[in-house]
Amino acid sequence: MTNTETITHDVVIVGAGLAGSWAAMVAAKQGVKDIGVLSKIHPLRSHSGAAQGGIAAALNNVRPVPDSGPRGPLEMVPVGADPVDSWELHMFDTIKGSDWLGDQNAIEIMVKEAPQIIYEYEHMGCVFSRLPDGRIAQRRFGGHSAPRANYSKDYTGHVLLHTIHEQARRHGVKFYDEWYCLDLIIEEDICRGIVALEILTGKLYTMRAKAVFFGTGGYGRAYKITSNAYANTGDGVAIAYNAGVLLMDMEFVQFHPTGLYRHGILMSEACRGEGGYLTNNSGLRFMENYAPDKMELAPRDLVSRSEQTEIDQGRGIGPDGQGIYLDLRHLGREKILARLPQVRELAIDFVGVDPIDNPIPIQPTAHYSMGGIPTDADGQVLADAAGTPIIGFYAAGECACVSVHGANRLGTNSLLEASLFGRRAGQAIAEFINSGAELAPVSGDPDRRNERRIKDIFDNPGTESVEVIAQELKSHMTDNCGIFRDETRLKVAQEKVAELQDRFKGARVMDKSHRFNTDLLAAIETAHLLDFSEVIVAGALERKESRGAHARTDFPKRDDENWLKHTLAKKTDVGPSLSYKPVYVDWERYPPQERKY
Amino acid sequence: MAPFSATIRVQRFNPDTDDKAYYDDFDLTPERDTTVLDALHMIKAEQDGSLTFRRSCRHAICGSCAMNVNGHNILVCKTPLQDVLNKNGRVTIRPLPYLPVIKDLVVDRSSFWEQYLRVKPWLIPPEDIPEKEFRVSPEEVTALNNAETCIMCGACYSACQVIGLTKGYIGPHALLKAFLRVKDPRDAASAERLADLAGSDGVYRCHTIFNCIDACPKDLNPTQAIETLRKLAQKRLAYERSRVQRQRSLQNPIVVD
Repeated sequence: MTNTETITHDVVIVGAGLAGSWAAMVAAKQGVKDIGVLSKIHPLRSHSGAAQGGIAAALNNVRPVPDSGPRGPLEMVPVGADPVDSWELHMFDTIKGSDWLGDQNAIEIMVKEAPQIIYEYEHMGCVFSRLPDGRIAQRRFGGHSAPRANYSKDYTGHVLLHTIHEQARRHGVKFYDEWYCLDLIIEEDICRGIVALEILTGKLYTMRAKAVFFGTGGYGRAYKITSNAYANTGDGVAIAYNAGVLLMDMEFVQFHPTGLYRHGILMSEACRGEGGYLTNNSGLRFMENYAPDKMELAPRDLVSRSEQTEIDQGRGIGPDGQGIYLDLRHLGREKILARLPQVRELAIDFVGVDPIDNPIPIQPTAHYSMGGIPTDADGQVLADAAGTPIIGFYAAGECACVSVHGANRLGTNSLLEASLFGRRAGQAIAEFINSGAELAPVSGDPDRRNERRIKDIFDNPGTESVEVIAQELKSHMTDNCGIFRDETRLKVAQEKVAELQDRFKGARVMDKSHRFNTDLLAAIETAHLLDFSEVIVAGALERKESRGAHARTDFPKRDDENWLKHTLAKKTDVGPSLSYKPVYVDWERYPPQERKY
Repeated sequence: MAPFSATIRVQRFNPDTDDKAYYDDFDLTPERDTTVLDALHMIKAEQDGSLTFRRSCRHAICGSCAMNVNGHNILVCKTPLQDVLNKNGRVTIRPLPYLPVIKDLVVDRSSFWEQYLRVKPWLIPPEDIPEKEFRVSPEEVTALNNAETCIMCGACYSACQVIGLTKGYIGPHALLKAFLRVKDPRDAASAERLADLAGSDGVYRCHTIFNCIDACPKDLNPTQAIETLRKLAQKRLAYERSRVQRQRSLQNPIVVD
């Protein structure tokens, strides 16, 4: 590589999805002048834009028609009628959805501030679907006891992402499009900046900053069938871990019940929110055997396990019996075209099925990372179980773990969380900068260290393809650390990850050029997949209970006595060292209960 | 899923090392549901790691992977390879036209983004902000004609012959965004926007060739949006008055019959 340069900003933000763009926009609005936002893809390509069904908030615009039962039709809440939804209900649903692993103090903040952030989006021009009287339209979603998914057809993430990006531009934030963060500089619990690669030129830069924010997204790309974009390689999570930062609750990986068969592409939960059915190979709505009350609108962990059970017991559909049907036909043409146009297009384009006429073949798909970098409710990254801050380091969104989702996230809570905690982090960063924060000195040679790392990849005489290693990892994570887990399979996964880490040392990069080298990026991303997969497996092996998305067939029950606690993982020379910290539970209001739907 | 054979011809160019662009042919054995993007990935993983292209979501929402395939701008992620092979099993993939090539299939979209920013894509709201939402009717949302679902992939921009000739032209993508703002009852700057759009780089540059409509992978209609903007620009003060009038009631419930 060429010689490195230093760039200085007050604030460096890595990742430009909802969390990063909110943090940047809010900090800029509150007077922080010198903000640089890096994104390895153009900000409008961020994966926040792939979210479809809605963003949660108890606005009370819509309610079930009185006395029509839990799945009855919805109507506008009449003027002057008593509210049917509340932040308290949203809070209980989120806690129950999290299988009591979510921190209830953080959840309370989120659900109370939720309506306000929806209105803020609306005031910034976000195009929501509307009710006849002009209010924002709402639909049902899994695990929510009231219709509180605020939506824009099935393009909700897309319109939110474009809205907040436009506003960040409006407030003069500087963007570094297609710059890749390689390393995080932390010394003595003080964050001092990052090392970044300009993808166009291959040049390395040390970017010094008073505050660094990570909104780098999730880690679903460690799995073979996933709804996640190619970009979702958990870079920020791996970079933080490698810089000595703890990771929390990494073993909790959400499988979405409706990924397009063989592709994994998201078919929004809004399909079921609007009334869609799941059926097996004999046409049975099998959810009646698993969640008789909520049926298809049970939370995602439960629905995905139910589907997998049907498949494993030979009741799946498709040539290999690995699919399930998502049936929308009874919703009718008009509703499908008006409310689910993107889902319809995707089904036609990728599997040749028009949902108006035929059921869509689907299967569970790795979707969301509950775990990540531990933070408080202001996005402040925490160095230990006692809550010591890493000065100047903030994170929010899917790469972070506040924790509001605990062991299983409810649909529509992720767009809310990324937006709301991104905003809170932006406020905290602005206060930190405006109170006179200073640039901390950088010792050593972080840029040289990264130059060497890249040179080592280029000079590697190995012959094995990076892609082969990545594919093997994904297969093994799916088979051995997926929806159902047990000790035997997890040990296989553990050995496999170690073997692949070893083989990666002999992996080749074919493109040795400096300019826009996506071959090099793929190698670094694969290294990141291997880094955090080891942590997922270690946490899963150790957690001897079943809770939320972590389902151990050898320990099928939740064990609050021993496991009502967060996993913390620290990198050591011999792999992740695990420790634990208590969950914040309000024992008066929301003590753990049996979780039934 | 019986395998078949295909030859993928790809335009290659690295300005650091190549004097001019050239073609490479890659033979593959794809499956029935292999997409054009899958094919590029197979080449990169198995044959030539230096083949360079952008992609991310692989389901037509991020806008990264617009390319020129057999002369048409498409999103390669949602296009089955089978649909673009000729009778000899061949397909030709080039970068988006009219844009400088960074490397292979990666183009420099700088001018595209400059035009996007030029139209001030953000909403400029009225001064009086309600406690809850502005009241916008479902019909007013329908009138936006799905412009809010534009993914900014650039397929229209680089299919537009006017862009090929006149770099100053705002372009179909940014005009569609401008249409979204001008038509949004919450936007308080329609008169200024229309004045700019009626300038020499704006709506009158469009020659109504419809290439943008053909190219749009989301079935949007920039040409129609441009025509609407032309009409509104001709009566922009009257339109501005109607907007001001509408904004007086933006905080009131829409009366439902």
